[in-house]
Amino acid sequence: MASPNNPVDWQGRYHHIDQILDTPGPRTDEAFMAGDGVKNFLRNEAKILVIGAGGLGCEILANLALTGFKDIHVIDMDTIDISNLNRQFLFRPKDVGKSKAIVAAEFIMKRVPGVKVTPYFGKIQDKDDDYYMQFNLVICGLDSVEARRWINATLVNLVDPENPESLKPLIDGGTEGFKGQARVILPTITSCYECSLDMLNKPTAFPICTIANTPRLPEHCIEWASVLEWPRVHGDKKMDTDDPDHISWLFNVAAARAKEFKIEGVTWSLTQGVVKNIIPAIASTNAIISAACCNEAFKIATSSAAYLNNYFMLIGTDGVYSYTFEHEKRDDCPVCGGESLDMSISSEMTVEEFIETLTEKQDIQIKKPSLSTPTKQIYLQAPPQLEEATRPNLSKKVSELVEPGGEVTVTATTLPFSLSLRIQFTSK
Amino acid sequence: MHDSQDIETATTAVATEGRPDDKTRRYDRQLRLWAATGQAALENARLLVISGSATSTSILKNLVLPGVGHFTILDHTEVTPEDAGNNFFLEGPSSIGKSRAEEAVRLLCELNEGVVGKADTGNVAEILDKNPSYFESFSLVIAHNLHPVLLDKLSTLLWSDPTYPILAVVNSAGFLAEFSLQFHEHAIIESHSDTTPSLRIDKAFPALLEYAKSLDFSSMDSMEHSHIPYVVILVRALEDWKKQHDGKSPQTYDQKKEFKAKILDMKLKIDEENFDEAEAQAYRCWTETNVPSDIAPLFDDPQLDSLSPTSPLFFHLLYALKKFAAQPPHVLPLTSTLPDMKASTASYIHLQRLYKDQTTEEKRTFTSFLQVPVDDDLVDSFVKNAHGLKVLRGKKWGLLDASPEQLAEKLSMSPRETSTHLAMSALRASTIKHPDIRPTAEILTSEAKALLPPGTELPEEFSNAIGELVRAPTADLPNTAALLGGLVAQEVIKMITKQYIPIDGCCVIDLIETWTGMI
Repeated sequence: MASPNNPVDWQGRYHHIDQILDTPGPRTDEAFMAGDGVKNFLRNEAKILVIGAGGLGCEILANLALTGFKDIHVIDMDTIDISNLNRQFLFRPKDVGKSKAIVAAEFIMKRVPGVKVTPYFGKIQDKDDDYYMQFNLVICGLDSVEARRWINATLVNLVDPENPESLKPLIDGGTEGFKGQARVILPTITSCYECSLDMLNKPTAFPICTIANTPRLPEHCIEWASVLEWPRVHGDKKMDTDDPDHISWLFNVAAARAKEFKIEGVTWSLTQGVVKNIIPAIASTNAIISAACCNEAFKIATSSAAYLNNYFMLIGTDGVYSYTFEHEKRDDCPVCGGESLDMSISSEMTVEEFIETLTEKQDIQIKKPSLSTPTKQIYLQAPPQLEEATRPNLSKKVSELVEPGGEVTVTATTLPFSLSLRIQFTSK
Repeated sequence: MHDSQDIETATTAVATEGRPDDKTRRYDRQLRLWAATGQAALENARLLVISGSATSTSILKNLVLPGVGHFTILDHTEVTPEDAGNNFFLEGPSSIGKSRAEEAVRLLCELNEGVVGKADTGNVAEILDKNPSYFESFSLVIAHNLHPVLLDKLSTLLWSDPTYPILAVVNSAGFLAEFSLQFHEHAIIESHSDTTPSLRIDKAFPALLEYAKSLDFSSMDSMEHSHIPYVVILVRALEDWKKQHDGKSPQTYDQKKEFKAKILDMKLKIDEENFDEAEAQAYRCWTETNVPSDIAPLFDDPQLDSLSPTSPLFFHLLYALKKFAAQPPHVLPLTSTLPDMKASTASYIHLQRLYKDQTTEEKRTFTSFLQVPVDDDLVDSFVKNAHGLKVLRGKKWGLLDASPEQLAEKLSMSPRETSTHLAMSALRASTIKHPDIRPTAEILTSEAKALLPPGTELPEEFSNAIGELVRAPTADLPNTAALLGGLVAQEVIKMITKQYIPIDGCCVIDLIETWTGMI
């Protein structure tokens, strides 16, 4: 196999790309090293990391390989499912069940000669700072908010003002149906992923009392089956939403309940959609967003043209509507802002209610948070001994434990950063 | 299944019931967008793609994956070393010298066994000259960077008969691109509009009104009272209000405020959310339900006056809708989709039943106005989506550049988009006039000026655009190809499925600043 230092480039291979790399355009930065300088960097030196080898990842890998990146790494913890095949074009029916990262890497190396793709079949959290330090750029094609927050915080933490190499541009893409977005994050310099957390759509949540007592929609019956009936009937056995037998069980239970209440519309497909929180996905939207991401990677790596500042949003349901704008950095961003976040709560609010508020608040959204003040622990989710020791605090009022204007530090195992809140109390 | 089946029986009965087959599983993520009807339309479509360029194969990839029925690539050229470097649907150096159409079709077909692909190594110029009927068997033709003389011929041919295929014209160079669709008329039932149909609280149908009036709020227990659906609360409150106000709904700001206060006064306990919902939705009582302003103009369509049995079903349905809306209470037929609201199961299901019965009743009236037999599913879909109907009228490709005044106006209104379009037009013109010369800024500027009224000033955006074209006049960049591949495929899917709303005009793309725009 050809190594990146021994490319099998044939005459004319980069005819199209080289039109860009040989000459600056009217909007090209002066730092652009037209010709051999930039080509050498792109083809022999640049090292790029792709996170996710799914809908966006497959497209991203193909685009990067064709534009001339030769040293590409890809991480994905998932295996291939039949429902991926309508868009994840590096996979075939025979690949179902195999690692996405490995199959995608092999396909790209076979199709685009001289490109080295190094797969990792696992989690991004398995890798340490030294690993992330080796790349010039990171592109994310993920469907998980949690993973994005993790990599974003990791790359922000990586920045050492003394070492310009430690600043890794992060390009992030996401899609949902005919809609999507692509953005460029320069950690500590531009707005980061955490800065824009409040732009996310709020997930639909059904109140437990509706599910238990007054179901009206088919979704309520499905939630009843998955949230209440599954644990009641199966005890500790974990529900696997990828297991068709489990979905069938939920569907039958939900359908029976719907029948009892004369509710129409429980189907297998809806059951699967609700319990897996399925987001519609198509090849074309993924192509648009991945291309936008890779184009930014190409421009940043080569300086051949200005790059996106810093957010591109696309809505394709009614014509082609897009909006390019600069998303502003938040001074009180827990990851890149440095200032603590002010929060006003009722002096009557209990610690338990406070935790629920933190979970739901759009700009925080921390699952299972642990809370402490500079002097004491308020509530810790783990280890079990500490959880037990701090549990009595759950029913206490926050105002009994924290002074007005006092700081509360919020941490969660899923997030590589802590959030600092300055608490004020309202009398009501 | 029996009415009172317990969980154990239900779950041991038929464990595989309703489970999707392999095809449904494969297409699951897209069926959630365009459903089985959209999928069937896609599978019946026949596409012709002219050239096997990187952009062409990128577009096709996004149509083969979701399962378009048939595609043909028409390309008489052989794979060059340049092609092999930028096209994912060629196998690097081993494809060089082989037919570009055959190589691309072979590799695209690997993406989906359900799709039939055909390579045609004929020459489009000869086909246009000798066999113009060739194009008629396709539903849609896509042309990427087709020579402007041929493009002109092709677009004229396909425009000459409204039954001929839709044409997607795609042009790109370097970081810049534009594309448009040429079609005569495009009628959409399932626009997937964000607006929701009226609940008709202000014009409550008899059964709903009777029900709201029959309830004795004061005799209810607190559980029942806190679960009266807001729709019922509003209908009742409005009826009571009208009795005291000469049959009129709240008119002035003060009256509306008073009405809302009355609703909150009906609460027995402070935490009755259903009354909060009613207060929040109170505007529905004084927002008159009538034919929406987007729909009313469709009734003026001249086709409605000259319908024949062979006229498109859409217009027969539209005619029936017009007739329906001409009758009191001058509204669109009711749809039975109720939003979720705080309610007990029984009260919600009862309300839903009232809406369903009325919907069936109104559908019967609607159907009586139809002059031709129409499939019941289509009637249902039409009625359900009546508030989001769309009729687009297209233009012949190139019409934009035929009017200097119009171009100049667009240039002053949206300089960045129009400049980029002008630059692309100038590049096409220079290919005709100076086939052997690499385009220069001077050539492109003079070609652009020739399209505009004499003396029109060209903005800075124009220099930016032609600067890029001079830099990379023939570059089919992988990222630009991939992005166009997505955008064009998306519009093709919308045209074929007749769902969602396609572009109406020319879409311009600049991948330096990363924006798209319409002119």
